Amino acid sequence: MNNKVRDPREIMRDEMFMRDKVLAALNDGPKTVPEIAEVMDYPVSEVMYWVMAARKYGYIEEIKEPTEDDYFQYKLVKNE
Amino acid sequence: MNYDILVVGGGIAGMESALTLGDMGYSVLLVEKEPTIGGKMILLSKVFPTLDCASCIATPKMASTFHHSQVTTMTYSEVNDIRKTPKGTFQVSINKKATYVDFDKCTGCQRCEFACTVAIPDQYNFDLVGRRSAHIAFDQAVPKKAVIERYGSSPCSFACPVSMQPHGYVSLIRSGLFDEALEHILKFVPIPGSLGRTCSAPCENECARGELEGSLPIRQLKRFASDHYYEKYPNPKYGPPGEILDKKVAVVGSGPAGLTAAYFLAKDGYKVTIFEAEDRPGGMLTLTIPSYRLPSEVVERDIKNVTALGVEIKTGHRVESLTELKNDGFDAVFVACGAMQDTKMKVEGEDLAGVVGAVDFLKGVNRGDKIDLTGKTVVVVGGGNVAIDSARVARRLGASKVYIQYRRSRAEMPAFDVEIQDAIDEDIEMQYLKTPVRFTGKDGKLAKVESISMKLGDPDESGRRRPVPVEGSESSIKVDLCIVAIGQRPDIASFADNDKSKLTRWNTLVVDSTTLETNIPGVFAGGDVVSGAATVVEAAHAGAHAAVYMKRYLRGEQLPGEPLQQMLPVVDRNEVLKRQSEYRTLNPGKRKELPPKERVSDFSEVELPFTDDEARYEAGRCLDCGGCSRCGQCVVACQADAIDFSMRDEIKELEVGSVVISTGFELFNPSSKIQYGYDHAPNVITAMQMDRLLAPTRPYNTVLRPSDGKIPDNIAYVLCAGSRDCQVGNELCSRVCCMYSIKQAQLIMGSLPLADITIYYIDIRAFGKEFEEFYQQAKQMGVSFVKGKVARIEEGDNGNLIVQHENIAGDGKSERTEHDLVVLSVGMLPNQDALGLLSGGEIEADSHHYVKEVDEDHSPARTSLEGIYVAGTASAAMDIPDTILHSGAAAALAAAHVERVKK
Repeated sequence: MNNKVRDPREIMRDEMFMRDKVLAALNDGPKTVPEIAEVMDYPVSEVMYWVMAARKYGYIEEIKEPTEDDYFQYKLVKNE
Repeated sequence: MNYDILVVGGGIAGMESALTLGDMGYSVLLVEKEPTIGGKMILLSKVFPTLDCASCIATPKMASTFHHSQVTTMTYSEVNDIRKTPKGTFQVSINKKATYVDFDKCTGCQRCEFACTVAIPDQYNFDLVGRRSAHIAFDQAVPKKAVIERYGSSPCSFACPVSMQPHGYVSLIRSGLFDEALEHILKFVPIPGSLGRTCSAPCENECARGELEGSLPIRQLKRFASDHYYEKYPNPKYGPPGEILDKKVAVVGSGPAGLTAAYFLAKDGYKVTIFEAEDRPGGMLTLTIPSYRLPSEVVERDIKNVTALGVEIKTGHRVESLTELKNDGFDAVFVACGAMQDTKMKVEGEDLAGVVGAVDFLKGVNRGDKIDLTGKTVVVVGGGNVAIDSARVARRLGASKVYIQYRRSRAEMPAFDVEIQDAIDEDIEMQYLKTPVRFTGKDGKLAKVESISMKLGDPDESGRRRPVPVEGSESSIKVDLCIVAIGQRPDIASFADNDKSKLTRWNTLVVDSTTLETNIPGVFAGGDVVSGAATVVEAAHAGAHAAVYMKRYLRGEQLPGEPLQQMLPVVDRNEVLKRQSEYRTLNPGKRKELPPKERVSDFSEVELPFTDDEARYEAGRCLDCGGCSRCGQCVVACQADAIDFSMRDEIKELEVGSVVISTGFELFNPSSKIQYGYDHAPNVITAMQMDRLLAPTRPYNTVLRPSDGKIPDNIAYVLCAGSRDCQVGNELCSRVCCMYSIKQAQLIMGSLPLADITIYYIDIRAFGKEFEEFYQQAKQMGVSFVKGKVARIEEGDNGNLIVQHENIAGDGKSERTEHDLVVLSVGMLPNQDALGLLSGGEIEADSHHYVKEVDEDHSPARTSLEGIYVAGTASAAMDIPDTILHSGAAAALAAAHVERVKK
């Protein structure tokens, strides 16, 4: 965790730009936040903001049971 | 009196006081600065020691308050001032902030929030997640109505002559909504393709990002949007409006001003005919601007935006008389024929063959005349964009040497910087501070330009330093062609002759500066024909502006009529930059263009477009200065038609009999305890953030670590973080931290049964009813209590945290213990806003800066000023039951004061 923490206002402002990258990372299946961050090549703590915002606004949802190492996986919400 | 009692602050204390007073039959005005009442209590998970659901208690109270027949609730409003009157009542001034949402229409559906393109930290979730500029505070908000957060006009939007709201299309591009970006622009102007290439972009000069690494390339983003859209939609998606009115309008000239006026008039159903003297429409866009800057097919597509509305363009039709147009049945006329006549230098030899005006030269080239300058030497005179265009065109026609002579220095050149640089890159030699004094020739044909050097004197009326000839500095160049580009003027002598139109000494039309109406009723004018040669965007603005007043004229309304609504004041760029402690460096991308050697061989467009990713990167640099970007997506999404950007703040002046101050408390910001790592370790959070993670309306799906989304299994609480601490200036105990921490520990053990919880404390203060039992219950559940002050919290490589503490109950040694999440049980601080409410008097504060209770033992809630009372945590840290009791006391005193005043 040596990544410099950016001002939350700046990270959240990026959300509108990053949302598509989060969704693209989930195109091939559910992933945990660290796995999404790895695909996006962005700091995990920043990706956490964007993943939770995507969840808040209904783009993604969690799979009910967490993984063995205590992470939830997130998947795309299918629009009807 | 307008109300018996004013209650300031709509948290639990304010609601309780208002309800008590309302039940007594007093009329109450409750003013709350947030868009919802409920204060901090509604944001809690549960309350201690009963573990009752906070929402289940607070929500009915919020609804009862809001719907009480004796209580009027004014949310999103702030009390500016309270003044005591001689009769003992109070005059209050309240700022009712504009919500930009009509609450009578809003259904609370949140569609606007989902559509909004501006993300900002969600203060109701204590920055754990973002929200939108358009938002409803939370699901249980009362009233459950959206508000749109605006701080003012964004500097870019404020600077735009056509009020195109650049912030709006920038935020749409950032969000990947490219079609919507162009459709946004089309609300303000019909020629986005042309402006995306030729706009002077005053917005970019004001961009707050310019104070950091460089402003956003807003013009190029506009071009990106139009390129994307035009490729996808070769023709407009719309046709003529449904209802066509029986009024006819003539527009003289089809340049940017004429096209824009026609567009807005036709949109409203007026039958518009444009008369164009040349054989093709577009004015300067097609006639003089070279295609390497503005390809003709882009202008043609822009023009389709106008003709799709049913506007007819008659080319090759020169209008000689305006009154004749009116006689032909046109109800109104807009003159926008530009300034297409070259200004002469009035020097010897100007009539030689080989000395030409820039407009004539450029028109010929754009018309397709065969002009070959291979191997020739060309001198261009002037410093504006037309001069630069002429020089670069000459280069493309084969000229081996091109000079630009300008009588001032580069700093005074009116041409765009980027154009000047492009010209230099194309081997055009700039000769600053030089101007021709004579053209000499042979057999009536130009052979030589004789020039003189200049120096800069005092500023002239334009503010630029006046060029002064330097005696004895004459020099000459052998040339084949000289292009004079020192200015243009309108060709409108016939209007003066035939219509008695008033002209200025610069041969431009005289108009009313507000309405743009000429001295002939019903005849309006704008663009270069009024201003003289100006920019494309200024001409478009004139067209849009004239259309507003022409519509008023056509409706038979008095001119000028109601003033046009002003934009919100512009936000201060320095204030914008202060919103963040630091900024990541985001350099603007390098401008992409064809290499100079390649581009001078033909008229291919020089500037290359952004890719999708490049455009989104550049748009992503936007700082959202004004808050809401005015992208308009909320308007599209709202099915109740509730969005209203014409709203403005309102100041309400009212008289009340008494005042209850219930402005609540502030939470300690742990950033100042740098040894706790709150600012740099994501897994150090505050207890209020933990309460949000535990609440049913939580920002995550459960309690997770903010650093990576892991379910924590070893959580530490650090008590007295920012209370009982003289180092941070708060020596008081906050009275609630022990109990809320124990509450959270019990709740976590319920939701994460395998988690270990350690509470680091100085001493546990379990003084209230059943508090001790609650504490003992936590111990029995397995919560570990460690007596010892935490000295430091360090972050490990895996995001875990090393808590260094003194184990007082053990051997007294310093210990280091690893946890994967640390919660700081932050203390309560006084909200000092209340102290400044009164003018002409003072609400006294106690030594801790809470509102002072002058007789705390015998008459709690009484302040230093008769008639003003304090309720709840505005007076001291206290828990919810004590707050409710205290609010009752304040209500009783306020009621008694009102009775005295009424007598």
